[in-house]
Amino acid sequence: MNHAAPLAAGLALVALPLVLPDFWMFIGVEVLAFALYAVSFNLLLGYGGMLSFGHAAFFGAGGYAAALVAAQRSLPLPLMLVLVPAAAMLTAGAAAVLIGLFSVRRAGIYFAMLTFAFQMLLYTIALKATSLTGGDDGLTGLKLPGAIGRPVGYYYFALALTAAGLYVLHRLVHSPFGATLRALRANALRVQYLGVDVRAHRLAAFVASGAFSGLAGALFALSSGNVFPGWLNWTASATPVVMAVLGGTATFFGPALGAAVYVVLEVVISGHTEYWPLTMGVVITILVLLAPGGLTGLWKTGFGRARASRAVPLSTGEAR
Amino acid sequence: MHNPVVVARQTLAGISNGMLLFLISAGLSLIFGVLRILNFAHGALFMLGALIAVSLAAVLPAAAGSFVVVLAGAAAGAALLGTVIETGLLRRIYRAPHEMQLLLTFALVLMLGDAAKLIWGRDEQSVAMPALLTGSAHALGVSFPLYRLFLIAAGAAVAVGLWLVLHRSRWGIFIRAATMDRDMLSALGVNTRTLFTSVFALGAALAGLGGALAAPIVAVGPGLHVQVLIDAFAVVVIGGLGSVSGAFLASLLVGLVNAFGVLAFPGLAVVLTFLCMAIVLIVRPRGLLGTVE
Repeated sequence: MNHAAPLAAGLALVALPLVLPDFWMFIGVEVLAFALYAVSFNLLLGYGGMLSFGHAAFFGAGGYAAALVAAQRSLPLPLMLVLVPAAAMLTAGAAAVLIGLFSVRRAGIYFAMLTFAFQMLLYTIALKATSLTGGDDGLTGLKLPGAIGRPVGYYYFALALTAAGLYVLHRLVHSPFGATLRALRANALRVQYLGVDVRAHRLAAFVASGAFSGLAGALFALSSGNVFPGWLNWTASATPVVMAVLGGTATFFGPALGAAVYVVLEVVISGHTEYWPLTMGVVITILVLLAPGGLTGLWKTGFGRARASRAVPLSTGEAR
Repeated sequence: MHNPVVVARQTLAGISNGMLLFLISAGLSLIFGVLRILNFAHGALFMLGALIAVSLAAVLPAAAGSFVVVLAGAAAGAALLGTVIETGLLRRIYRAPHEMQLLLTFALVLMLGDAAKLIWGRDEQSVAMPALLTGSAHALGVSFPLYRLFLIAAGAAVAVGLWLVLHRSRWGIFIRAATMDRDMLSALGVNTRTLFTSVFALGAALAGLGGALAAPIVAVGPGLHVQVLIDAFAVVVIGGLGSVSGAFLASLLVGLVNAFGVLAFPGLAVVLTFLCMAIVLIVRPRGLLGTVE
């Protein structure tokens, strides 16, 4: 693994507040949160070969958990800074345990549909549990107190947590557990014959992915200042899929790149037209039909052709 | 709840809503069974049918015959769009990974949703009921809107027609064979390319017809397709993917659960639908009458 590029990107991210105005701090946090979200999601798709179409449930659950903690104004700040990420990860992780127990029994498109179904259950609960979630109106006016709640302070808070999250996920991917996960994607049956508990591994990956998606949701909720039930709706579950595929599912940082491109595209395009969904639809169609390897795939094939070497094979539809 | 008049009224309301659900979920289920594609854009085809109905009703004279034209036009328009979608886009990704298939039909949701806003605007619209079907029927002390009774009749007619097509026509036999083993069907010399196109068009036509039938009783506006898809999805999962009879049974079940859920737990009826779905998925993952797997 080449460490130069992530290190350079990290240094650039630390220096960002020195050169950009406050408005871009909000965009910066959005990029960080969705990068963490997309990489967590890709732990399942890119490494485990599991397509979740219900990840918005975890992102949203983390957002709500963070919002409820942040509303406790009497908490001392240091405690709150610990409790916000902890509550988000625990809530999303617990949801992932419950959903995962039933979902990881199936593979392929059926796994996608199970996650989709349970997410809709959580969505309707978020919509109807008005006393806890504010119902349709969501929870608004969310902010951390003091300097950490200001754009630059919060940006560094989000940067630290995103970096920590990505570090843990990176370690996970390159551990024996990550190797088993990749083996599962390639040939689950054979891994099972080797005596590995396939379900337990899939469940563990699902819970880790869900917990970090919850952390991402928390980071975004306290930056945007609100959280709505729509965050858990099925249309929101396409976002991490789009980001991961846009960046390329075959690399660890590809989805993070996809998230950054997606967020910046959205800011730029919605500044010019209210038909952002239409534009995104066209982008996705082109992506799926012409560049299924995503941005990193394009770069690698271009690079590979020049050096007459083979591109990294992308995940196929087999053994799902 | 124990008032027999209320029970009768909610039963009829549940069945009529169930019939609308059946029209959209039958196509969704068939398309999954044959093409193995989960068509997120199916709700958009339903909405398109409703919007075509709005436009046709605006230009046609208010006669009973006009409503038949409106229904046929909506079904035909949706079938045409379905044919274009299948031949232009879906056909290219049958062998692609699942995430690519999901993303492509999701892209269609985004594009069709915005295209509908560009063409028909953002306001909620509605279609006037044909004069013949306004008013209520009275029997045994229960009064019930005529249009709802018409929906039940129309839904039942489509269900019977679909059953006859699937079980008594050559095309229907091919469709059922394809849900079991499409490679074998292809090896036996059936042209699966045109079969896939025709199945997608049939599913789209049913969704369009459902949209047109719903147009007089729902607010037709942006966002309709997102909600409709979830209901249809729940029905298809409960009934069993690929099974039209399962979709019929589950549509009635969901319609009735909603109609009585509103009485028993006001405001929580939607949760009940998904609770039903979760229970079915846990206890009987392939659905009530599902065969595909």
